[in-house]
Amino acid sequence: MSVLARSVGNAFRNKIRTAAVVAVLAVAIGLALAMLVANQAVGAKVQELNASVGTTLTVNPAGGQGFEGGGEPLTTAEAETAASVANVTSVVGTKALRLQTATTGTTDTTTGATAQQGPGGGFGPGGQQATVSTNLTAAVDAGTLGNRNGSAGTTTGTTGTTQPARTLPITATGIGAEVDSTGKALDITSGSGLGDYATAEAKALVGTSLAEKNSLTVGSTFTIQDKTFTVSGIFDAGTTFGNNAVYVTLPEAQTLAETPDELSTMIVTVNSMENVDSTKTAVQDALGTDKADVTQGQRNLETAVSSLDSVKNISLIAFIAALATAGIIILLIMVMLVRERRREIGVLKAIGARNRTIGLQFVLESLVLVALGSVVGAVIASLASGGIASALISSNSTTTAATTTQRGGGLAGAMPNGAVPGGGGMPGGGQGGPFGGASQLLTSVTASVSPGVLAAGIAAVFAVAIIGALVPALLTARIRPIEVLRGE
Amino acid sequence: MIVVKDLVRQFKSGDRTIKPVNGVSFELEKGSLASIVGKSGSGKSTLLSLLGALDKPTSGDVVVDGVSLAGLPDGKLTEYRRRDIGFVFQQFNLIPNLSAVDNVMLPMEFAGVRKAARLQRAKELLEQVQLDPEKHSRRTNRLSGGEQQRVAIARALANEPKLILADEPTGNLDEQTGEHIIELLSSLSRDHNTTILVVTHDRSLAQKTERCFRLQQGRLTEEVRTGSRR
Ligand SMILES: Nc1ncnc2c1ncn2[C@@H]1O[C@H](COP(=O)(O)OP(=O)(O)OP(=O)(O)O)[C@@H](O)[C@H]1O
Ligand SMILES: [Mg+2]
Repeated sequence: MSVLARSVGNAFRNKIRTAAVVAVLAVAIGLALAMLVANQAVGAKVQELNASVGTTLTVNPAGGQGFEGGGEPLTTAEAETAASVANVTSVVGTKALRLQTATTGTTDTTTGATAQQGPGGGFGPGGQQATVSTNLTAAVDAGTLGNRNGSAGTTTGTTGTTQPARTLPITATGIGAEVDSTGKALDITSGSGLGDYATAEAKALVGTSLAEKNSLTVGSTFTIQDKTFTVSGIFDAGTTFGNNAVYVTLPEAQTLAETPDELSTMIVTVNSMENVDSTKTAVQDALGTDKADVTQGQRNLETAVSSLDSVKNISLIAFIAALATAGIIILLIMVMLVRERRREIGVLKAIGARNRTIGLQFVLESLVLVALGSVVGAVIASLASGGIASALISSNSTTTAATTTQRGGGLAGAMPNGAVPGGGGMPGGGQGGPFGGASQLLTSVTASVSPGVLAAGIAAVFAVAIIGALVPALLTARIRPIEVLRGE
Repeated sequence: MIVVKDLVRQFKSGDRTIKPVNGVSFELEKGSLASIVGKSGSGKSTLLSLLGALDKPTSGDVVVDGVSLAGLPDGKLTEYRRRDIGFVFQQFNLIPNLSAVDNVMLPMEFAGVRKAARLQRAKELLEQVQLDPEKHSRRTNRLSGGEQQRVAIARALANEPKLILADEPTGNLDEQTGEHIIELLSSLSRDHNTTILVVTHDRSLAQKTERCFRLQQGRLTEEVRTGSRR
């Protein structure tokens, strides 16, 4: 019988109580660990977000935000102006098109398109997004949201035309470089890029889900506005909605929209993170506030990042609070045990036990309880932390997604279905666009229980437990051996 | 050699102070076997706790082999209890969730005796107090009062103390087993030069000790032997 063996034995003296204590400790420790894991996961995500969208600025036409507002479209000349601003490394123009599936004969499409684009500017105010016809079928089902959004559009637009069956539009974006509409490089999974993005050519990059839906492979053809396009590559944007998109070269999109020289957005890349703010002001000044709105792509992410940061802080506070709770539980339990075993401590002292032997015995006993609590708690944490982290993050992203819906008007309703790769859904929609990217990143936060974090958490739990047990252990030093003669 | 000088222990109960030990002085030769008798509540256990350094006197001193307990710090008192004293408590005070052997091994563990040695000695001691071998590894809260009493005696002997203080060591034993325990204690004082002081209500036990003291109104008086002893 050693001190350790005695401590283990004592920990199980009252089995029901031990079970209760372990259960309570496990909840506190499990919560602490889950919060730590969530904290780490969110922290990693924040870093990733900051790194991923560090240095891009998005330029939208002044007054155009989503599909609301008006103003003049951006032009190629303005892109050149922006490119000449100091610290700007590149300017990529985009031109967004909306592809509407022609369902009731191709003859109707032109009128249909014109009608939809027409009165009241139901879609695309400021002419930012032209609607053109295609023989492609969207990979995203309209669903309830799509139909709701769609019916609003058709009532204003298609008077006199045969009402087409509801299909979701497909986004086609003309791009001036091999990047998506947030400036992120496209991930081409098969085939190749479009080559020269500065020339009009009937070639296109198609998203994986759209390609699948329409049985397209590299080399297949489809039509936009009766013009035949060849699929030169298939890309993966990472989300269903993001993959329901087509990219063509910028001049091609401008031709299709019959608006040469017009840009929906410009993606300005700044040479370094530190220069982003000053460059943003410089670009804004160069283009004029009446002509363009310069937003930091990151700005929207900043909202996301700052809310993520607060999630991170909350989880840290919750971790500390849960840890403190575990410490207090230990403290109270051990104080109770010391009081209960006063007489027995007196016996040990009467037969010659040193204070430190008895103190050690109690600390070890508390560690046995904490070890059991940690094992159960770690199981709880590994089951719960994924749920907790995604709950924290999804509640966080729903709020912001709701904002996007308002801004984006009709179409944006589709956004929550699947995050848009950087506003691929509506490249013209300033704030809505970049946020799409953010929400995509947000939903991909996974709280995986890494052994390192768990070990650190458990080490912290044990440190707190030792502190919690130390006070009661020191209390045993004050118990006099004469307690042995006192009645129970 | 134990010298007790004018020992006083008082308790406050409410507004009254009681002095179960009120000026006790005596000397005990090394290796002597002595008994204390007295009415219930006369202060016998209190006196024993002062001699065993479980409690501190209100005044007076106990000098053991020239060392005054009053002058010792707590750490030294712990060492004194561990090394020099074997205490048999009136209430046994065994650790209930430990086995008989483990209880007997405890003082040796505190004294740093190696595990194998303490196990062997514990078994020997339990045999000496005639505890059934099959009960050696039984938890002490599942032993009878008499069995617990014998485990308590074995525990007191564990570190071969120079002074054994036994509070009613035969109170729960049948006559025959009691006789055996008395014989065991006598042989320790005889053969190992252990000083033994027992508190007892048992006349026959008191008869068998070399000296017998009576505690009355806080004072200790030595009984004058009438008959022949041993
Ligand atoms: N801590 C204490 N506080 C107050 N009074 C005490 C305390 N300890 C003992 N007493 C009192 O001191 C007196 C002597 O008690 P003690 O236990 O020494 O008697 P005893 O001679 O051993 O009796 P018994 O033969 O019944 O065991 C009793 O009246 C008891 O109530
Ligand atoms: Mg007594």
